[in-house]
Amino acid sequence: MIQFYYAYQPIIDFFLLSVGFGYSQQIALRAGVFSIATAGFAALGSYCVAILATKTGVPIFLTVILGTALAAAVGGLLALPLARLRGAFQAIATLAFVQIILSLLLYGEGFTGGALGIVGIPREVNTWILLIVVGLTMYVMWNIGRSGMGRVFNALRQEESVASSLGVNIGKYHIIAFIISGAVGGLFGGLQSLYTFQIEPHNYGFAFIVNVLTVVILGGRTTLLGPIMGALIMAILPEIARPLAEYRQAVNGVILILVITFLPNGVGDEIVFWFRRRKQARQQQHRASEKEARDAVS
Amino acid sequence: MTTLTISDLHVSYGGVKALRGVSMHVEQGEMVALIGSNGAGKSTLLNALSNVVKRKSGEIVFEGRETKGMSPHSVSRAGLLHVPEGRQVLGDMSVYENLQVGLIARGKRNTIYTLDHVYELFPVLEERRDQIAGTLSGGQQQMLAIGRALMGGPHLLLLDEPSLGLSPLITDQVFDALKKLNAEGLTVLLVEQNAHRALEATSRAYVLDRGQIAFEGASEELAGNQAVIDSYLGA
Repeated sequence: MIQFYYAYQPIIDFFLLSVGFGYSQQIALRAGVFSIATAGFAALGSYCVAILATKTGVPIFLTVILGTALAAAVGGLLALPLARLRGAFQAIATLAFVQIILSLLLYGEGFTGGALGIVGIPREVNTWILLIVVGLTMYVMWNIGRSGMGRVFNALRQEESVASSLGVNIGKYHIIAFIISGAVGGLFGGLQSLYTFQIEPHNYGFAFIVNVLTVVILGGRTTLLGPIMGALIMAILPEIARPLAEYRQAVNGVILILVITFLPNGVGDEIVFWFRRRKQARQQQHRASEKEARDAVS
Repeated sequence: MTTLTISDLHVSYGGVKALRGVSMHVEQGEMVALIGSNGAGKSTLLNALSNVVKRKSGEIVFEGRETKGMSPHSVSRAGLLHVPEGRQVLGDMSVYENLQVGLIARGKRNTIYTLDHVYELFPVLEERRDQIAGTLSGGQQQMLAIGRALMGGPHLLLLDEPSLGLSPLITDQVFDALKKLNAEGLTVLLVEQNAHRALEATSRAYVLDRGQIAFEGASEELAGNQAVIDSYLGA
């Protein structure tokens, strides 16, 4: 077990960080917002922590909280101009947001180190901390899913006009979704910078966006299991496909196409849905046999 | 008391005038029908009432309050609930979850329409409470859409074509439920193409023709009016 851990520790850590970013991406999609702002939130959290940790004496624990709060606040503000946009336009606007954040990081050299980024960040985060924070995030997400808010998010995603006719304040819930997405993205961005020793704007560019989206699309957009399965596939795939290392991108692409075609809800969601359907069928069978018994008596 | 007063309502889409000076009223406890042919503006009127489409001019007063400028969700929270055409249940969610979403419009208002009440009215919803709503039959989905609106504690229920695509037997069930609700005191504005049924179920009715009210009066009288029969009720 210990040997397994040492051999695969970087992969496990990558997996845990992906799960975290996956939840940030998922909560937005779940509320029907086509946001790809997670990369921007992660960059904000990560730079906030890195700058505070290397240039000030703020306790590490506090830097992560400040990074999380900053990304959450920016998320809430970002929701305001996005309120009038939908679908692809929303996606492009959030992409623009990421570009703006990255440009600020590139050009704010005195503060952010420009293209070279920031080095010498204390390495305070290890697998166990990541595991605990992922666990806490899952707990929060689970509670959101079970609450009325989760139902409202589901309703918004499925049919915005119906939700509105049922008294749902669309703007308010989109702001809430962005704040949560920002907080989770900023939190894991901060953890990442305390894990990798060095960060640069490039870390949060196109590759990051594609990775996070892939995690959620492969895994699933609505269930807690979704990002876990997505991140698991993304972490294990390169290992399994090592003989095909040269064609890794192609292998990723093929798998993505296969999953979208045959499991459009994502692997994790499909598993959960399968269990739900089975439970339902059993309940219905149970009720039918109960009814039969009643009819037989009378 | 008057629940709803509409005065000289105009609505246009682009240059097309969908409603041209509609005035009508619904008293508390009444069940009123709005009938008319395809494209007469019936759905537009309901959408204007719930502020989903913006009016060009005119007044809509719901329980003494002008609804101009209110967002659609505030209108439903005030108790004006709209069951849209084509049922529109949230297909990926269970029957129970759909009903729970309906609670949002209720807010802190008191209402007699509890979950038990809805289950009593439509027992099939209780039997199928864990079923995914998208897999229900058309009639069951219509019942769910009405039940969900009831959960929001309506003071006025707007129904858009509840008989659309339903078999006569199921339509009977839906209309029986509506009559029962009305007998309990619910105010209903019912839009129907199925004019026979609508006139039979209601006490008063309006006939909408190309964006204007062509006839109004007691449902029984309209059902016997030769001009209405010729134009809207068929032979």
